[in-house]
Amino acid sequence: MGGIRNNVRALRAAHEMTQQQLADRIDLTRQTVIAIEGDKYSPSLETAFRIANVFGVPLERVFQYQDERKKPRKG
Amino acid sequence: MSTLSYQEKSLYGTLAADLIVYVPYFVYVIHHPTTLTHIVGTIILLIVAQIILQSIIAIATRNRITDERDRQIAGLGYRNAYFALVSMILFGMGLLWLHTINGELPINHMGLHFLSVFLGMTVISEIVKIVTQLVAYRRSI
Repeated sequence: MGGIRNNVRALRAAHEMTQQQLADRIDLTRQTVIAIEGDKYSPSLETAFRIANVFGVPLERVFQYQDERKKPRKG
Repeated sequence: MSTLSYQEKSLYGTLAADLIVYVPYFVYVIHHPTTLTHIVGTIILLIVAQIILQSIIAIATRNRITDERDRQIAGLGYRNAYFALVSMILFGMGLLWLHTINGELPINHMGLHFLSVFLGMTVISEIVKIVTQLVAYRRSI
């Protein structure tokens, strides 16, 4: 969704955690975790921080933003 | 694999209740004049159907939480339903006005006709809301 990518699936696998376990830790439904992992839903900032806290890593290790808008040509 | 969340099951339940109760009512109303008893009876039937269906869904579902994505999708549903309702009200008011000035609708039937038309608009708006939400869930918005 947009230019936001994430490593939730990889981090979850590294922590041997199921989607339901992660969902329970951050008060989301499993379906929302699935949507986040599939880059189809960008969570709120608060939820993004909660996910990073669960994995014990900084926010930018979990979510990355890439500006996909076309930059205007100079000259 | 994504199974249905509680919210989705609840939406399907609401849609089923709406269709079970309102389709026979509106099929009847097209061919016969409606009465206040019919309208009130239909609404009571819908409440009973909703209570039964939602209770079954609640009992059958372990995780019944609502999260930020559910709220966002509900907002999308309400937005579309609002546009549908406002459009239909404007269109319906125009039609009623046309029928009345042409003398096609007796003034003593106006109140009941209005009630039936507004009930129809509410039902369509509700269906627009539910379908919008279900599509959003399936498209994983």
